[in-house]
Amino acid sequence: MKPVVLIAVNFVREQRWPIFVLLLWVLLLAFMGLVTDIAREREDLLFIFKQVAVYVVAFSIFFGGSAIYNERKSRRILAVLSKAVARQQYLSGLILGVTIACGIYCFTLGLTGSWTLGQAGFPVSTVWFFMACLLSACMLAGTIALMFSTFLNPFFAAGATAIVLGLPAIASHTVAIRWGYSVPVYVLTANILQASYKSPGPLIWFPVMLALAETFVFWILGAWIFSRVDVAVAVE
Amino acid sequence: MAAVLEFDNLTKEYRNFPSRKRLRALDQFTLKVEQGEIFGFLGPNGAGKSTAIHLAMGFMRPTHGSGLMLGDPFGTPRTRRRVGFLAENVALYHRRAERLVRFYGALNSMGGSYLKKRAREALEAVGLQDISGRNVGKFSRGMLQRIGLAQALVNDPELLILDEPTSALDPLARVAVREFLLQARDQGKTIFLSSHLLSEVELVCDRVAVLHRGKLMRMGKTSELLQAGEQLEIVARNIAISAFAGAVVRNGTVSFVVPANEQRTALGMVWQSGGSVVSVNPVRRSLEQMFIEVTSGKEAHKE
Repeated sequence: MKPVVLIAVNFVREQRWPIFVLLLWVLLLAFMGLVTDIAREREDLLFIFKQVAVYVVAFSIFFGGSAIYNERKSRRILAVLSKAVARQQYLSGLILGVTIACGIYCFTLGLTGSWTLGQAGFPVSTVWFFMACLLSACMLAGTIALMFSTFLNPFFAAGATAIVLGLPAIASHTVAIRWGYSVPVYVLTANILQASYKSPGPLIWFPVMLALAETFVFWILGAWIFSRVDVAVAVE
Repeated sequence: MAAVLEFDNLTKEYRNFPSRKRLRALDQFTLKVEQGEIFGFLGPNGAGKSTAIHLAMGFMRPTHGSGLMLGDPFGTPRTRRRVGFLAENVALYHRRAERLVRFYGALNSMGGSYLKKRAREALEAVGLQDISGRNVGKFSRGMLQRIGLAQALVNDPELLILDEPTSALDPLARVAVREFLLQARDQGKTIFLSSHLLSEVELVCDRVAVLHRGKLMRMGKTSELLQAGEQLEIVARNIAISAFAGAVVRNGTVSFVVPANEQRTALGMVWQSGGSVVSVNPVRRSLEQMFIEVTSGKEAHKE
């Protein structure tokens, strides 16, 4: 477990500037809360909250899709994997790292959202439920991107992830709603996007649990693929 | 002696994408490195040295064959806990030197005061103890190579696998690393050293293998490989330089080289002309000469 945590913390440390830039969006929401008349501009605040919330899912794909590639390209992966670190531990470390990075964002957004939307009359418990939805969506999206990145470059990994996440969304609109649950990232983000002051949405934990279970499945798949991949970059 | 590192008929092929053309980087490669020796691993660029090392470390999977490291199959994480590895063109995270070394030690499940002690010792061994608080991102290439060596040493490894460990070092640092390698061998550690610096290899390695185009071309004790076949150098006094073809005068003596089967005749000629023999020694060539002979000579073209 120790190597997994070390790799995760190291990942967050290496990604500190992108995380910082991400947090500026949350600051924007906080700024809006400070300078606007919350009672009058509450719809605008909710709109910004939804927008800022969805960004992190895209960032989780970016984090997951580029993590292994960057480490391989810089050759830093060699020093790490030359230690007593199994490939699945390495992958777990990166997934945990992506989760921590997104978790920092979600926690900050949760605090800011509770303060701003709470004053505007939105249930604070729903804000935190949304953060749980968002974090589980990020974990799943990041793990799928990471799984693809074990054998694809970041551009194709992101594209493949977008297809895997997008097809259930399309199917839920064109075939049946239940198809959205096959990879529930869309369902989880739709929860947030469809919320309003009148109808904040029910606190249904099933998609969150499903996302966590699928994260585990994609982790197993990613670890299996990664254990069969040559990680050394040819230098000769 | 027990083999610490064993390559058994290993073949590694790369496939080009999208042509799917196969490139054989290592071809039925067999080698045993024994405990307590410094083994020099030589070959020109593209010979397959790094591929062999990466296979041993488990960074790659062989196309055919297998191998053992400290008794376990290649790529076993628990075995790597007993191994120190320095990659060519080392790349490390940008953080303070001591923290970096501790980070790599912790990845080997080390911790507490023992890890702190080992990190300090490793930094001392490579001469970086005075700048242990400096960020590695600001290090020169030579210093990076030294910190890379320190992270390889932090776990007090039984086997050190070093890919070009001294290529960026200044002469003083090279001498220090050489002395360190000799000390490590005296402590019973095994060192697998891949290098282009043949003079370094010649000075420290007990055995040497030469790889060319993925095939093992030559292997043996360094001293034996450096003997130039069947030739002897005779040094004599009080003889005319013109008496022997290719003779040269050095410090008042005349030295010349003869084939071993003509040794008796040559010595007879020295004595007959009233001279005296100072020494008769087998001719040694440099590792560089042997390397060039193996990699660009007839043997190489047989492939």
